[in-house]
Amino acid sequence: MNKEEILGKKPLQILEKIKENLERLNEKMEVMIELQKHGKKDSQQPFQDASLDVMTLLSMPDHLRKTAMTICRCGRATAEEISQQTTRARAVESAYLNQLVIMGYLKKERKGRKAYFYADRESQG
Amino acid sequence: MSKIIAVHSYKGGTGKTLLSVNLAATLAKHGNKVGLFDLDFRAPSLFAILKISNAECWLNDYLNGTCDIDKVLIDLSQRIKTSGNFFVGLANPATEAIRDMSAKDRKWEMRALGRLLSLRNMLLNDKEFDYLVFDTSPGLQYSSINAIVAADFVVVATTSDRSDVDGTSRMLRELYNLFEKKTGLVLNKVLDSSSKAKKDEMNRKVKDVYQVPLLGLVPCFCEILRAEGNFIFAQDKPDHPFTKILDEMTKRIENNEVN
Repeated sequence: MNKEEILGKKPLQILEKIKENLERLNEKMEVMIELQKHGKKDSQQPFQDASLDVMTLLSMPDHLRKTAMTICRCGRATAEEISQQTTRARAVESAYLNQLVIMGYLKKERKGRKAYFYADRESQG
Repeated sequence: MSKIIAVHSYKGGTGKTLLSVNLAATLAKHGNKVGLFDLDFRAPSLFAILKISNAECWLNDYLNGTCDIDKVLIDLSQRIKTSGNFFVGLANPATEAIRDMSAKDRKWEMRALGRLLSLRNMLLNDKEFDYLVFDTSPGLQYSSINAIVAADFVVVATTSDRSDVDGTSRMLRELYNLFEKKTGLVLNKVLDSSSKAKKDEMNRKVKDVYQVPLLGLVPCFCEILRAEGNFIFAQDKPDHPFTKILDEMTKRIENNEVN
């Protein structure tokens, strides 16, 4: 590896990190926008150990139910994959998925630059 | 395509089990590989209808996560004479098992939903089943709603009884619609559907009241009552009008002619 390559690697990593952080920030803002849009009725306080069972699905507002149902069917998916099934915009699904994470119904796991969402069925109870 | 079919109703005694067994048997008769599942854990009945006294594993065990689905499925292809394959998964009829299933909490139900949903991959994709038929408990039970969520198509059995009509239309609005489920209504125990005019009138009435497509009209057959659950009409009585009606309904599902 020559001198230029070594010098060039660090700024690139820093830029990647900045991009990653910006993406996270963007997701958080999307959640805040969605929470405001739908008022306070479905922005209950986050609670631990919430279970995504069918009665919970039934009592959810329509826009969240659609996302939650899709994740139930897929098992584990990114906002992009969910948006392909619901035919809604990726940013919208990302906001709803993050909202479901805040509400305690879904778990989120980052792998590189991708965020995966899933209902944690096995570890509870 | 509707590959997983749940048979459900608002009230009990509407003919869910009769429809489920005969629907599954007819699908198998048409050359399909079919799995019939008793998800009525409060009042299991398929073991009696199919005359199976014991099973290595029950569906209860599969949902509890203590047994694989392969061990639950019983191959009845030899007994139910069809050109396809007929498998059944039974609910445990022991009182203790019924009590155990009715005391499950929300987290267990959530896991049970996950296990029902994974049947699509395990059976339809990996084991090449063509159809899965879920017989359910009436009303808004956890196990029934789990089955509805996991299904592609819901056959709703109902009668002309006032309490049934009211509850069924509410359930269509407040349950199936919320889950965006395809539904087909079967009006059972119809007293007079002999003429075409009468059938058309019933068809119109059902569409007005329930606002969902009618999958079929089943007249009240005394022979079904007299059979006391001893026959599977689709297999044992191939020329009976009930078998023919079931045949028509099944073809509509197979040809994807349901909304």
